[in-house]
Amino acid sequence: MKDDIFINQAKYIKEKLKKSGLKNVKLQATPMSSSTKLDKDKKYFRRILCSIFWVDLGFSVFTFSRLFFPLRLPSTFSFALQIFPSRSAISFSHYNIHKTMASGLVTKRAKYKTTIKDPGTPGHLRMTLEKILFVPHNPKSAGKLDVEFRYIKGQKHTKEGSNKPPWLNLTNNQNGSFIFEFENYSDLQDCRDFVGKVLAKSGEVSEKPTVAYPDEQLSASEMELRIKLLQEDSELQKLHKQFVLSGVLTEAEFWATRKKLLDREASKKMKQRLGFKSAMVSDIKPSTDGRTNKVTFNLTPEIILQIFAEKPAVHRAFLSYVPNKISERNFWTKYFRAEYLHSTKNSIAAAAEAAEDEELAVFLKQDDILASEARKKIRRVDPTLDMEADEGDDYTHLPADEGDDYTHLPDHGIFRDGNKEMTESQNELYKRTLSQDINRHAAVVLEGRAVDAEFEDTKAVAEALAQSKRESSNKGEPDGDTSRERLDRLSRMTEIEDLQGSNNLPLAPLCIKDPRDYFDSQQANALRTSGDALGGTEQIKCSLSILEVYSSLRESISSIKAMGWKEPIVKPEAAHQVFDALTNSISNTKHNIGKNPQESVLDRLPRKTKEELLHIWTSILELLKHFWASYPITTSYLYAKVNRLKDAMSNIYPQLEEIKGSVPSEFRHQVSLLVRPMHQALDAAIQHYEASMQKRSTQSGEKPNGYV
Amino acid sequence: MKFQIEDVTVYFPYDYIYPEQYAYMIELKRALDAKGHSLLEMPTGTGKTIALLSLITSYSLSKPHTPIKLIYCTRTVHEMEKTLAELKLLHSYQLKHLGPQARILAIGLSSRKNLCVNPSVLAAENRDSVDAGCRKLTASWVRAMAAENPNVPTCQFFENYERAASSAVLPPGVYTLQDLRVFGKEKGWCPYFLARHMVQFANVVVYSYQYLLDPKVAGIISKEMQKESVVVFDEAHNIDNVCIEALSVSVRRQTLEGATRNLNRISQEIDRFKATDASRLRAEYNRLVEGLALRQNLPISDNWLSNPALPDDILKEAVPGNIRRAEHFLHVLRRLVQYIRGRLDTENVEKESPVSFVASLNSHAGIDQKTLKFCYDRLHSLMLTLEITDTDEFLHIQTICDFATLVGTYGRGFSIIIEPFDERMPHIPDPILQLSCHDASLAIKPVFDRFQSVVITSGTLSPIDLYPRLLNFHPVVSRSFTMSLTRDCICPMVLTRGSDQLPVSTKFDMRSDPGVVRNYGKLLLEMVSIVPDGIVCFFVSYSYMDGIINTWNDTGILKEIMQHKLVFIETQDVVETTLALDNYRRACDCGRGAVFFSVARGKVAEGIDFDRHYGRLVIMFGVPFQYTLSKILLARLEYLRDTFQIKEGDFLTFDALRQAAQCVGRVIRSKADYGMMIFADKRYSRHDKRSKLPSWILSHLREVNLNLSTDMALHIAKEFLRKMAQPHDKISGSGRKTLLSQEDLERMGDGSMHEMLY
Repeated sequence: MKDDIFINQAKYIKEKLKKSGLKNVKLQATPMSSSTKLDKDKKYFRRILCSIFWVDLGFSVFTFSRLFFPLRLPSTFSFALQIFPSRSAISFSHYNIHKTMASGLVTKRAKYKTTIKDPGTPGHLRMTLEKILFVPHNPKSAGKLDVEFRYIKGQKHTKEGSNKPPWLNLTNNQNGSFIFEFENYSDLQDCRDFVGKVLAKSGEVSEKPTVAYPDEQLSASEMELRIKLLQEDSELQKLHKQFVLSGVLTEAEFWATRKKLLDREASKKMKQRLGFKSAMVSDIKPSTDGRTNKVTFNLTPEIILQIFAEKPAVHRAFLSYVPNKISERNFWTKYFRAEYLHSTKNSIAAAAEAAEDEELAVFLKQDDILASEARKKIRRVDPTLDMEADEGDDYTHLPADEGDDYTHLPDHGIFRDGNKEMTESQNELYKRTLSQDINRHAAVVLEGRAVDAEFEDTKAVAEALAQSKRESSNKGEPDGDTSRERLDRLSRMTEIEDLQGSNNLPLAPLCIKDPRDYFDSQQANALRTSGDALGGTEQIKCSLSILEVYSSLRESISSIKAMGWKEPIVKPEAAHQVFDALTNSISNTKHNIGKNPQESVLDRLPRKTKEELLHIWTSILELLKHFWASYPITTSYLYAKVNRLKDAMSNIYPQLEEIKGSVPSEFRHQVSLLVRPMHQALDAAIQHYEASMQKRSTQSGEKPNGYV
Repeated sequence: MKFQIEDVTVYFPYDYIYPEQYAYMIELKRALDAKGHSLLEMPTGTGKTIALLSLITSYSLSKPHTPIKLIYCTRTVHEMEKTLAELKLLHSYQLKHLGPQARILAIGLSSRKNLCVNPSVLAAENRDSVDAGCRKLTASWVRAMAAENPNVPTCQFFENYERAASSAVLPPGVYTLQDLRVFGKEKGWCPYFLARHMVQFANVVVYSYQYLLDPKVAGIISKEMQKESVVVFDEAHNIDNVCIEALSVSVRRQTLEGATRNLNRISQEIDRFKATDASRLRAEYNRLVEGLALRQNLPISDNWLSNPALPDDILKEAVPGNIRRAEHFLHVLRRLVQYIRGRLDTENVEKESPVSFVASLNSHAGIDQKTLKFCYDRLHSLMLTLEITDTDEFLHIQTICDFATLVGTYGRGFSIIIEPFDERMPHIPDPILQLSCHDASLAIKPVFDRFQSVVITSGTLSPIDLYPRLLNFHPVVSRSFTMSLTRDCICPMVLTRGSDQLPVSTKFDMRSDPGVVRNYGKLLLEMVSIVPDGIVCFFVSYSYMDGIINTWNDTGILKEIMQHKLVFIETQDVVETTLALDNYRRACDCGRGAVFFSVARGKVAEGIDFDRHYGRLVIMFGVPFQYTLSKILLARLEYLRDTFQIKEGDFLTFDALRQAAQCVGRVIRSKADYGMMIFADKRYSRHDKRSKLPSWILSHLREVNLNLSTDMALHIAKEFLRKMAQPHDKISGSGRKTLLSQEDLERMGDGSMHEMLY
C-alpha cells in the first residue's frame, strides 16, 4: 500500500467489480442522466447504478442511487456497502479486512467444530465462490471439510460484544451445521460477509442474511449524507479512516457522537455556494507605471462576470457588439473610459462624449434594463416596505414635471442644503450616482452568482450569464405563491413576539468551517479589549464543601419543583461570566506562549509537525470521547469496546514520541509542552481503565459465574 | 385574552399584555366615554396599534345600539397594510370568541394606482396617469359614447360593478388592499369604486392622512362619514407638517409654462365645441347661474379632486358673472398667469400677506377676490363640460387654480414668498412663488369639529403640551406613557468625539471637515465589525449623505465596511429605495447583516421599522435641524412666535429632536427586542438639546454614556451585546411586572391597579 501505484480509475473500478463477482454490472456515470431508462426484468432490482464517488488508493465508495442488491466489495481498505433486497433499507457498515481478500477467495485460520461443545479442530478455512474448504493443521485429524456453497442455506454468527467467541455457524439444507471458531472478530466478519455475498449471489437469499448491528438500518439518503459529510470535511474523513476502518470504532459508534451533524445537515441539504466578492468592482484601482499616462486595468473573468451581473446594459452591449463590431479589447477600453468619466462627476463632459460615440453612450446612460427590472421586482416587495405605493395617496405633492417632482414640497432642506453642487436637468441622463451603484452592487452580491462554473473566456462568461437569466425569466412569476409569501411575511411582521408563544423563524444554520478560526478571532478580540488585563488565567477560587454544594443543589431542585421553570437555570450575568472565562481560557491555552496574538505556537512549527500534532490531538479527542462515554461498563459489548479503545490509545504513545523525536531541537520544548496535555489525558483514561479492570476482576472473582 | 375595563369587555388577541398597553386602553376608553379628543404618547415597541384597535372594536361591540365607526389614518400605505394585518389577527380572535356577532367590515382605501386591477390602466407609471387612464375608460360621457359605439374602450371591471349596482357589496371581513384586488378580480368588479362605495358602511376604514386632512381629497372621500366616529391619527408626531403642507402651493416657471399650454388647449377645445356642440356650453352657463351645486349629482366616476379650501370656507353662492362664460374665464386665467409671471421676474426675495397680494392683483390684473375664490370650481366645471379625460396633462393649470382659490379664501395664517433663486445656488435663476400655510390648526379644524373623538398618538409627542397649541384643540386626555422593561434592552449613547478625541458634529462650519467625516467613518467601521445583523445610519440630508459616502468611497472606508456587511442606500428615487430596503431585509435574513444609509425626515425614517435583527444599532449622524435659512421656515417661525409665543430656537430644537427620536425609535418593536442608539454629535450632550428627547429614551441614557469617544462607545456596545445575547425570562420575577396575564388583570381590582402600573 505504501508503494506508489498508478491506477486508472475506470479500469481500477472495473477490476474491482470483476473481482468481487459483479462482472455483469452495468456502469453508470454520475450524476446519472435523468433520461436513462431502467430495466424492469430482474427479480429484486432493476439495475444497479454504481457510481463511484471517489476513488483514492484502495478506498472506494460506491453509492447506489436507486435500488439495492446484495453486494460486497472486498478491497484492501474496504468501505463497502452491504445491500439487501429490501429495496429501501440498506445496511451500511464497515468491515475491516487485514489481509487482502483475494478475489472470491477467503482464507482464515479457524477451528472447525461439529457442535458448540466441541473444542474444535484448528486449521485453515478457505472459501471460494463455489465451495467451502476446511483443512486442519494436522492433516491426520478428521475435521476436513469440503462443502459446496449451494448446499449452504444460511449463516449465523456470534455478535461482537457478546461474551462468546467469534463463531460462524453455516447451516446446510439438511439442517446440519458447520461451526467455525475464528481467532478474532474481524476474521469472522470477513467470512460472514463473504458468505453473505456468495449466498445472495447464488440467488438463495437467506431469510436473515446477517444479523447486522441493531441500529444499522439506514435510508439511502442518510447514507449519502454521511458520505457527503466525509467528503466535505477532510478531517472527519481522516478520523473515519483511522478509527472505523481500523476497527477501533464501528460505523455506528462513530456516527452516534455526530448525530447533530447528521440532523442539521439533513435539514439543510443545500451546500453553501461561493458568492460574489463584497468589494465593489469600481474599487479595482488601475495600476500605473508611474512614467507615462498609461493606466492598466486587470480584468479577470471573475470581475467581468460581476460587471455583467451588475450592469445588464453592458452585458447586452457586449453580446451584441463583441466581436462583430468592435474587438473585446476596445470594448473594455471604452467601458473603463466611461467609468472614468463617471468618476469625474462631470455630467456635461459625459454628455458630450456620449454624443460622439454611440457605444460609449451605452455605458454612460442610465441602465434601462435595470429600470424595467426594478418595476417588475417592486411588485414582489414586502408590502410593509412598499413605499412606492405611497405615492398614490400623496395628494399634497403633486408632481408637475418629470425629473423634479420633489421641488414642490417645502423640503426642510433635506434635499439640498449647503452644497453648492449643481447639475443641469438635461444632463440628468448621464448622471449616475454612487448610491445607485452601491445599491446595485449589494443586490447582486445578495442574489449570488447565477453561473457556477469557472470560465476562462469572457465570451463564455457573457453567454452563460445570458442563459441563466433567460432560464430564470422563463420560470416566470408564480403569482399565487409570491403573494402568499408576501402575506406570510406580513403576518409575521405584525405579530408581537413576546406576547405569545414563539414561532420558529426560518433560520439558516450557522456553518463554521473551522471552529478554530472562531476562537482565534475571539481571542484576538479579547486581547485587544482587555489589553492590559494581563492575559493570565486567573483561577476563580472556589472553596465549597461537598455539603454546601449538595445543599444548594437540593435547594434549587426543590424550588424548581415548587415553582416550575420560571427563572432561567443560570443567571444571565453568571452565564456571561462563564462564557467569558471559557473563551479566554480556550484562547489562552493556545496562545500563552505566542507573543503575537494572531500567531499561535502551532503556526511556528513546521507544517508537517503541526498537522500531525493536530491530527493526533483530534484522534485522541475522538477516542477519549468514546472511551469515557462507555463508562460505566454495563454490557460485555461495552467492555469489548473499551478494550479496543484502550489498545488504540496505547498505540498513540509511540506516535507522540516519534513526533517529539522528529522535530528540530529548537521546537522540541514547545512540542513537548503541547504534547503534555495529550499525555495527561491519555494517562487519566488508562489509569481509569486499569482501576476499573482491577475492580472488575475482583468482582468477577466473587462471582465466578461470570455474571455480567 | 379577554378582560374587563369598566363596562367594556376587551378582546385582545395575545396571551399576555404589557401593562402600558393596559393603561393606554384605560385612558383611551375614558376619552371615548367623554366623547372628546385625546393625545397619547406611548413609546414605540409597545404595541400601540393593537391596543388601539382592540379597545375600539371591543368598545363598539359592547355598545351595539350606538355603533361607532373607526377611521384609522396612517401616514403610508405600508403602515396601512400593517394595521389591517393586525386587525385581521384581532378579528379572527374576536370571531372565535364571540361568533358571528363580532363580524365587522374593515377596508383599506387607497388611490386607483394601488387598487386598480385593469392591466391596461395599471401600465401607467404614476398616480395621475393611472387616474387619467381610469377616467378615459369610465367617465360618464365615455360610457355614453361606448353605448352607441362598441369600439370605444371601456373598463370591464367598472362596467360589471355598475351592472351589479346595489348588489355589489363586500361581505364582512377585513380587507387589505391586496385582498380587495383579489376580491375584485374574482368578482370582476372594480375594487377601487367598490371600496369607495363601501367606505360609508364599513366599521373600520384605514386610509392615509390626506384623505381626511387635505380638503381636495377629503371633500370627495370623507364627505359622508358620520359624526359618531373615532378618528385615529397614528404616528402623528408630524401631523402639523402634514396639515400645513395640505394647504400650501408653490408655483414655478415650469408651472406657468405648462399652464399656458393648458390654456391654449382649453381654448382650442372651446372653439371645437362652439363649432359642433354649442348647446353644452350654454347649458353649463345656465347651471353656473344657478350656483355651483353641481357636485352632488355627478356620477361617482366623474368625481375629481374637490376644492382645495376647506368646506366651511367655500361660499355657497352663484359663480360671479365675469367668469361664467368659458372664454371670459379663460381670459381671467391668462391674466392671472401673466401677473404671476411678472411677479416671478423679481430680483429680490419678497414676502407678503395674501391680502396685499390680492389687492395688488386686483389693481394690476383686474381680478377681484371673489373671482379668485371660484377659480378652482369653475375650472373643474369647464373641464367636465369639455369632456377632458387626460387630466394628468392639466396639472399645471390646476395648480394655478388651487393657488388662486386659496389666496382668495384665506387672509390669515398664510404668506406668499417669492424667491428669485435658491439661495444655496444664487447663480442659477430659479424663481419660485410659494403660498405657504403656517397654521396647522386650519386644516385639522374641520376634523376636530366634525368627529366626536379624535385620537392623536405616536411614539414621540414630547413635549406633549405643544401639540394642543399647534393644532388648537382641547384634549380631554393627554398622557405620556413610559415603558416598563424586563431588561435594559435599549442602549442610547451620545458620542461626542472620535477616537482621536476631536469633536464630531454636523454643525454647518464643521460638517465638511475631513476629520469629522473620517471620525464618522471610523465609528461606523468599528461598529460594523462588532454588531451582528442590521445597522441603520441616519444622516441629516441627502446631499450630506452623498458627500460623506463619496468621501468614504475615496478614502477606502466604504470598502472596509463592505468587507463586513453589505451596504444599501436610500435615494430620492422611491422605487430604488424600496428595492434597496427589500434587499437589506433579505441580507439581514441571511445572517450576516447589512448597513442601511438613510436620511432623517426621509421616507424611510418616517415609516419603516428596523425591528429585531433588521436593526440592532442606529447611528444618528448629526442633529437633523431644518434648513434654517429657508424663507418658508422663517415665516412659519415668525407666525408661531406671534400667535403661540413659541420661541424660534425652541421650536427648531423640538422639531430636530423629535425627528432624531423618531429615527432611533425604529429599532425597537417589542420588549424581547433589543437595540443600541448612537447619537453622534457633540451637541446632543448639551442639556437643552438632550432634554427634548422622549422620556423613554432619556430614562435609559445613563450619565456615563453622555460624552463618549469612539473607542468607549465600542466597548459599551460590546458589553451590551454580550449581555443581550444571554437568555432571559419574559416574566421578570423581581419588581414590577412587565407582562400581565389574564389572571393578573383579573386579580387587580381598580384600586390596586394603579400601584401596579405607575
